[in-house]
Amino acid sequence: MIAEKGAWNRLRTRLLFTGPTLLAFLTVMIVPFAYGIYLTFTNWDGIATTHTLVGWRNYGEVFRDRVFWKSFGLTLKYVLFSVVLINGIAFLLAYALTRGLRGQSVFRAGFFVPNLVGGIVLGFIWQFIFSKVLVYVGTKADIPILGASWLADPDKAFWSLVIVTVWQYAGYMMVIFIAGLMNVPGDILEAASIDGARGWTTLRKMILPLMVPSFIVTIFLSLQRCFMVYDVNLSLTKGGPFKSTEFVSMHVYEKAFLSRDYGVGQAEAFVLFLLVAAITLLQVYFSKKLEVEA
Amino acid sequence: MKKFKGVQGIAASLLLVSVVTACGSNSSNGEAGGSSPSASEASGGSGSASASGKEVKITLLNSKGEIQTQLEDAVKAFHEDNPNITLEIQTVPAGGSPFERASTLYASGNPPTMIMLDTGDVEKFKDRILDLSGEKWMADTVPNATDLTTYDGKNYAFPLAIEGYGFIYNKAVLDQAVGGSFDPSAITTTTALENLFKQIEASGKKALVISPMDWSLGAHYLPLAYAGQSKDSAEVDKFVESLKAGTADLANNKVFNGLMDTFDVMMKYNLDQKDPLSGVYERGPEVLGKGEVGIWFMGNWAWPQISGFDTAGGQYGFLPVPISNNPDDYGNQEISSAVSKRIVLDKEKSSPEQQEAAKKFLNWIVYEQKGQDFLVNKANIIPAFKNITLPAADPLGKSIQDYIARGKSEPSMSLLPADHWSKVGASMQKYLAKQGDRASLAKEIEEYWKSVK
Repeated sequence: MIAEKGAWNRLRTRLLFTGPTLLAFLTVMIVPFAYGIYLTFTNWDGIATTHTLVGWRNYGEVFRDRVFWKSFGLTLKYVLFSVVLINGIAFLLAYALTRGLRGQSVFRAGFFVPNLVGGIVLGFIWQFIFSKVLVYVGTKADIPILGASWLADPDKAFWSLVIVTVWQYAGYMMVIFIAGLMNVPGDILEAASIDGARGWTTLRKMILPLMVPSFIVTIFLSLQRCFMVYDVNLSLTKGGPFKSTEFVSMHVYEKAFLSRDYGVGQAEAFVLFLLVAAITLLQVYFSKKLEVEA
Repeated sequence: MKKFKGVQGIAASLLLVSVVTACGSNSSNGEAGGSSPSASEASGGSGSASASGKEVKITLLNSKGEIQTQLEDAVKAFHEDNPNITLEIQTVPAGGSPFERASTLYASGNPPTMIMLDTGDVEKFKDRILDLSGEKWMADTVPNATDLTTYDGKNYAFPLAIEGYGFIYNKAVLDQAVGGSFDPSAITTTTALENLFKQIEASGKKALVISPMDWSLGAHYLPLAYAGQSKDSAEVDKFVESLKAGTADLANNKVFNGLMDTFDVMMKYNLDQKDPLSGVYERGPEVLGKGEVGIWFMGNWAWPQISGFDTAGGQYGFLPVPISNNPDDYGNQEISSAVSKRIVLDKEKSSPEQQEAAKKFLNWIVYEQKGQDFLVNKANIIPAFKNITLPAADPLGKSIQDYIARGKSEPSMSLLPADHWSKVGASMQKYLAKQGDRASLAKEIEEYWKSVK
């Protein structure tokens, strides 16, 4: 029946279902992306009515911009710690909250809530905690490490960012892990326990290998989100103190809109896109190989 | 075969969609590129409006967040005087720069009729805004008010406000410290300033608070080193050029070193010494207004916040930032001030009627009693017009006006590169946190200037 219909009919059906999404995708993703790449070859400043083509000069500029590579390095460090901590803590939470604890759904909801708070608001809340609450507690209780605001010290400000990020995303990843843990078949666990496997062995030999698909998703999500972090960075530290916690997204933004070097900023954004795409694709490719069948 | 058809279908739909989007972008390009279709459209629109009583709707993008409510009240008063003009105020979101917002609005093809910009941004919009050289108020501006927005002999911007900055003092605290009535004209050297700090500390208060925001340190404090180079603005320009060229030797520059000597003294008596970078803007007006410190480095725009905490009966004023121990050196008696906010009129998307209405609003501010009242008494703005004789309503504005009237004003650096405050402000913060010495600060500033295009 279907095959007998004309090409136009089938096209019409397809457009009916995919057309709106395709249109939205093209207009808000592909067209700006292509136009953005075009702008990397110009010297546009963001407002002038004219701009001239400058060839590859902006890309040369990207590789000469030491601050860009420094903040990229800092971002790598941040991503490394955040991703490890997010996934580690999220897995532990998920594992603890699938043991049949009393009131575990309340805990699940509680840990998930930070993820519902927007990054900007979250940054301001934690800014208050780090620079007011903790300092107050620190001076009253005489704890030297809390005596001065963490956000005023380059190293501690970095760790504040990691802490807030972990707090924000651990709950979200926990939900994914819980779904994964629930799907670990009960029969193989039962079989394992009959064979004499205890908690740790079961976790290491049975549960973790079966959880690889969940890990692929969570690591992918946390990698991508941490690389692109801007909101928390902006509202918590504004890149300070003295630009020591300026992550790469923020640097790109400032290059384009503050220094009004739109072409170079856009070129940096494109280079960043390529780097992040490469890293996340490699991660997915290699972790796919770890997947096993139950 | 079946698979092939599937691919074909997708390709066809993609093609169709791309044609649709291409049309969309074409039409918008047409609007942005050629102004003729939109102009005819707009005049057509107003033509039909003229039949119903010549209603004109104009918009103003406000980038002075602290006068938002006052501005909205002024708009109501203006509407009463001109019932056929409806003015709507838009705002720049907190934390965003007026340049960013305005360029976004232009990019979306929906610019406001009037935009409030910082002085340095006006030139970027030159091709899109109206030449205002022929306006009546041009004859009534204070000297040099429009110099920086005049290109090829044409002035493109309306000078809205004069702002100045320096050390704000709380007279109640200082009176107590010096034991009698405090005389601001006595503080003209770094040593005198340090003695004053000592006297305040002796009276049991803290001397001053340094607000460590990058914009305060990078856009206000450090530029005193450039502006203080010479009374002659051509010399200052030459100095900036030499910075750009990389030939200026900041580490051995007298004014820079003098200014940083004063900064060292400030750091020594800073309320937040233990944790110099933790302070926020809001802390400054609080501790100054409550009289916990005697002095705060800031500008007259801070009055609304200070007045909320005022314990000195409204007795505040400005002290210059000394750069040497010779009272006669330029900058030791002068307060840095300049026209800081400008209103420009869009000519790309606004109809002639809208432009006229916008011009009318500017004239209303300058020449109508209600407009002047809004500017001076409600919004606490120091006007840049000679014909407005109303005295400033707040003590900080009064103090600045007084310095200007006595000829003791040093033009602020209004045309610094757009990222100067952020980059150099970070270097200043590093110095403030004692993470870098003066030599490295000088080097970082020189490096920054060399990177400026």
